[in-house]
Amino acid sequence: MSGLGNAALDHLRDVLERPDLSGTRYDLVEPIAQGGMGTVYRAWDRELARDVAIKVVRSELADSEIAGRLTGEAKILAQLEHPGLVPVHEVGRLADGRSFYVMRLVRGQELDLAALEVRTLPERLRLYLKILDPIAYAHSRGIIHRDLKPGNIMVGPFGEVLVLDWGIAKAVSTREAAGPAERTAALPGATNPGAVLGTYGFMAPEQAIGGSVAVDHRADVYSLGVILRTLINPAGSGAKPLVAIIARATAADPAARYAGVGDLAADVSAYLDGRPVAAYHENLIERIGRFVSRHQVAIGLVVAYLLMRIVLLVFR
Amino acid sequence: MKKPVFGLILGGVLGVFDGLSALISAPETAPGIAGIVAGSTVKGIITGALIGWIARRLDSLLLGVVIGGAIGLALAGVISVMQKLSGQPPYYWQIMLPGAILGMIVGYATFTHRERKVA
Amino acid sequence: MSDRFPETRHSIVANLGSDDPAVRSPAFEVLVASYWKPIYKYLRLRWQLPHEQAEDLTQDFFADSLERQLLAAFDPAKARFRTFLRLCLDHLVTDEFHAARRLKRGGGAPVLSLDFTGACDEVTGVAAPGDDPDALFHREWIRAVFEAAVGALEAEYAAMGKSAAWRVFAAYDLDRVRDVAEPSYADVAARVGVPVTQVTNHLAAARRRLRVLVLERVRAVTSGEEEYREELRELFGGKPA
Repeated sequence: MSGLGNAALDHLRDVLERPDLSGTRYDLVEPIAQGGMGTVYRAWDRELARDVAIKVVRSELADSEIAGRLTGEAKILAQLEHPGLVPVHEVGRLADGRSFYVMRLVRGQELDLAALEVRTLPERLRLYLKILDPIAYAHSRGIIHRDLKPGNIMVGPFGEVLVLDWGIAKAVSTREAAGPAERTAALPGATNPGAVLGTYGFMAPEQAIGGSVAVDHRADVYSLGVILRTLINPAGSGAKPLVAIIARATAADPAARYAGVGDLAADVSAYLDGRPVAAYHENLIERIGRFVSRHQVAIGLVVAYLLMRIVLLVFR
Repeated sequence: MKKPVFGLILGGVLGVFDGLSALISAPETAPGIAGIVAGSTVKGIITGALIGWIARRLDSLLLGVVIGGAIGLALAGVISVMQKLSGQPPYYWQIMLPGAILGMIVGYATFTHRERKVA
Repeated sequence: MSDRFPETRHSIVANLGSDDPAVRSPAFEVLVASYWKPIYKYLRLRWQLPHEQAEDLTQDFFADSLERQLLAAFDPAKARFRTFLRLCLDHLVTDEFHAARRLKRGGGAPVLSLDFTGACDEVTGVAAPGDDPDALFHREWIRAVFEAAVGALEAEYAAMGKSAAWRVFAAYDLDRVRDVAEPSYADVAARVGVPVTQVTNHLAAARRRLRVLVLERVRAVTSGEEEYREELRELFGGKPA
């Protein structure tokens, strides 16, 4: 044969990257997301007649330890059963030798996009609380996510929240999770070889340093603090208790952060309900202000009653 | 605490003070103050229990306040009519308006009150 | 296809710098098979050399590399092997220009038997490249890798007597023209004379094998795991190089 034309070349480059689903019950539809270690495709499950998502390790990583990480992610997800986490249907190797796993197809928007449609601060905070739920659950099962950021959080059409991309999640025993445990090694073959796993800007300092520093579930608390900051801006940046909550969650020293996601959630709920938050010591005026705004209807009614008594007294 | 019990107690307590307030607003009623206090307490208890009963079946704060006001108004109206029937000078709006607001307060408090589960 | 791509599953890059001719020369063969076309086309398109001069310089480049042990100087920490080769090539061309003389082809160096006429025809068929010389060299290198792999696949299928399977693959995956709608499976089935249900099976099998052949060829001319992955990341996915 003579040379390959541009059209044929581009076509070949495209089809060879596509996962070879022959021998499975799925038909490839389209790529929907590109991650550090794998590509997620929409696929059609012929047997159950439904759309699914298939995550396939990228070609260049097929025979590296990353392929094992993909399988590891599937196993971790399979351990976790929660409405805020994607259920895994199947895991295995394709005919082309690449590791893959099949999961529920998630429909929705990434958090930062979805947040644009949520206008009021209380609504955003309620959305935020939904994010904390599956993560608190994962922590209770000894799993830390280590790469929490808006891009890994999907908000569905009914406001349901799903936390995705557990590719660099770590299983630590619950006993370990309470104390110094996990070391983030700079794994070779990550998107940036030699780089620390995770995403700068959302990553806890002890995780960003990498190497010998212990990383536990409080690294997730840090990331969640950063997410809260991005979520409430600019509407909530003037609220002192909220700012204090973020400051505590994102403290440089893990010991100065919330001890767990549950405590963070409790503080955000407290703020939402007009109760005092643990992260912030309010002065008397602030306390009275919060009390009045929390009970304004009741106070209004009592004042109305007293006013009327006075009126009846004067005009009797 | 269950909502009817909460409403009953709150209504009763507020009813005691509401009745005592007659000493200030209408000192001429002082000799019969015991009857007044007893009446307004019973009225408060009935209002609170009724609202509590409704609050367990309804989940709207606004409706709770409105219904509370309506019950307070109606019971105070009944008392006025009874006053008239027993030959006393009736106080219509002097007791109906405060009764309505008290009903609203009881309604608001009872509807926002959370029943804590007893283990 | 004139490329004989020697069997190898390992990187030949380190072997190019070996003092032992028995190690060096098979590695050199792989190098020539993978790179002569990209080099020739690069000279034609980037340096706008006429056919004959490009042909001579391609020969010179390989002779030069052998003689002066040029490739022993490659340091994987500094650049990818592909980039290193291109820089060597640019050096050779500028030397040529500055000296305003043609390098005498090394006396003892063998003249390689390469199908320059075919490659010349291909150059005229290729759209004018962008300004980025690395992108040009890269694209031609990818093309050479795929051509070699497709050639190997064709040879394998011929040896196994799978002519229908090959014709399905060629009709669907190779016979493509830009801006023309892709053929349907039914068209291909009719053209080759196989049931439609066979088309997807043949395609999947051919692509699966081609994938392996491409990976082997990339592995051979990259210096290590990291470079291999970087090259693959850019090679797959059909993004214009």
